[in-house]
Amino acid sequence: MNETLGTLLIIAFVILGVLHVAPGLIWLERRLLALWQDRYGPNRVGPFGLFQVLADAIKMFFKEDWIPPFADKATFILAPCIINVTALTAFAVIPFAPGWSVVDMSVGLLFFLAMSSLGVYSVTLAGWASNNKYSLLGGLRASAQMLGYEVFMGLSLMGVVLMSGTFNLAKIVEAQQNTIWYCVPQFLGMMLFLIAGIAETHRLPFDLPEAEAELIAGFHSEYSSMKFGMFFIGEYIGITLISCLMTVLYFGGWDGPTFGISEGLALKLVQFGWFAAKTFVFLCLFILLRASFCRPRYDQLIAFGWKIMLPLSLANLLITGAALLALE
Amino acid sequence: MWPLLVFIAAVMVVVAAQIVLSHFLGQRHRERATGEPYESGIVSEGSARLRFSATFYLVAMLFVIFDLEAVYIFSWVISFRELGWSGYFKIFVFIAILLASLVYLWRIGALEAGPPKRRLREAEVK
Amino acid sequence: MTIAFYVASAVALFATLMVVTRRNPVHAVLYLMVSLLAVAVVFFTLGAHFAAALEVIIYAGAIIVLFVFMIMLLNIGPPPSTRQESLLLTPGIWVGPSALSVLLAGLFLYVILAGGRSVQAGSYVDAKTVGISMFEIYFLGVELASMILLAGLVGAYHLGKRDLPDEAEGGNG
Repeated sequence: MNETLGTLLIIAFVILGVLHVAPGLIWLERRLLALWQDRYGPNRVGPFGLFQVLADAIKMFFKEDWIPPFADKATFILAPCIINVTALTAFAVIPFAPGWSVVDMSVGLLFFLAMSSLGVYSVTLAGWASNNKYSLLGGLRASAQMLGYEVFMGLSLMGVVLMSGTFNLAKIVEAQQNTIWYCVPQFLGMMLFLIAGIAETHRLPFDLPEAEAELIAGFHSEYSSMKFGMFFIGEYIGITLISCLMTVLYFGGWDGPTFGISEGLALKLVQFGWFAAKTFVFLCLFILLRASFCRPRYDQLIAFGWKIMLPLSLANLLITGAALLALE
Repeated sequence: MWPLLVFIAAVMVVVAAQIVLSHFLGQRHRERATGEPYESGIVSEGSARLRFSATFYLVAMLFVIFDLEAVYIFSWVISFRELGWSGYFKIFVFIAILLASLVYLWRIGALEAGPPKRRLREAEVK
Repeated sequence: MTIAFYVASAVALFATLMVVTRRNPVHAVLYLMVSLLAVAVVFFTLGAHFAAALEVIIYAGAIIVLFVFMIMLLNIGPPPSTRQESLLLTPGIWVGPSALSVLLAGLFLYVILAGGRSVQAGSYVDAKTVGISMFEIYFLGVELASMILLAGLVGAYHLGKRDLPDEAEGGNG
């Protein structure tokens, strides 16, 4: 009974947590971008403009929920749901502290990859269902980009699996505690995963699907109200997910000095604190990337994926394998 | 596995709640141009059911094939220690064959997205 | 788990039925995706977690995406007339195949009942076991698969290339 209650608490905690972190990230992004660009950013509503997001959310709920008469209605509604459901569901396998995950799945890493591969439907269907030329172009771009970068997202992660010998995320963290954080031996794999992660969430510099100078808003041009909001939030949920995975796979997850605390809830909280702190650094990194880069051209983006990233991730895999076998 | 089912159900409820709430809270209005596609203020011309370049088709095919390759690699990776060097050489051959096809496609220019170079050059001459 | 198995199977059957009855190709393909996801859940309940994950990654996440993508590229949309499809529903055409299918289903049922295997016969299969048997017993098959994939890749390019000169500069975005 106690265990059941604990699991339910974790479920509630994960869903509510993610649904608060993602909008919080919007505020953080606007403030940080403003800081880096020498302006104020949102600073009127509440302390430090913190309630701006809340105000935006309320506004969005009261906007007209318009479904274009020329659109394919069912698919049009389904598309934003898919990105939220897949991105949120992937959080089920993330271990936040020892024992703190919704499920402790033996194929956790593959579960994440499966969910992220389903995310492609969202942009593809949104572009198709809108029945708008710009949406269609944006949807095509987005899906071609996600398809191209998904392959080596999986392959770049396999270096970690080679070293730890498991797909289970909690065990990967434990393996790092016993040896070394994988950001050192798997540096190349980490960079490949980061780039793939940015492309999967189509953030700048890979935000060509919604390049506003060319495509209005890309695949979500025709979306309004909370359906647009769901695409918007979905992007931030995706960023949070990639940051969590970076922490778990390459930066030792909950691993960190425990300040002499050795047991009980206090230990778990300290470990969770380490996890959250590391994830926060990556969230800021995503925002910094947005502030610093410009977009590549579309054909450069696709060619870069197949010509550089794919061979590199295969090379990373083979070299890691050879090194591990030679060392044994 | 029940926590996963509960979790997915909860996620779906949250998502559905957003859709339903915004449907009932939002305003409604109906004017002359409400039902038109938004194309930066220019009146939409023709249908959005366009046909597209084969570049995208190739990207999708490449994706499916390399995704399949990745799955073979996944099953090698997980049993890597048990298989040892013999398994390593088997996967090496496997990857080499697929890399050969990638090199081939690269050399004949299949990986270049966008219009072929020849056409770009013609455009420059004009 | 048994309940999950039957629910997932029912969903798979229903979704597959919807696939063949939809007129809009995108809707049909979406139902096909649901059907494949349900099959993945079936695998999961039978203890094959690895196979379930791969089912989602390959079928739902890659092959069906390719279908949706192709429908989008070619923009087939709802067919202007379903005369050809309606023809397929005339009894003369489907009676033969369905008689054969019933025969097969009967045979299948007989094998299951005679074998005395219940649904829960599957036990938990580790990803490691799959990998080891693939690369020790069936490794020739794996290498052959890479050859087939190579052929598929090269073939796909050359078949697709034939259309390249036809389409104008449009759609490079």
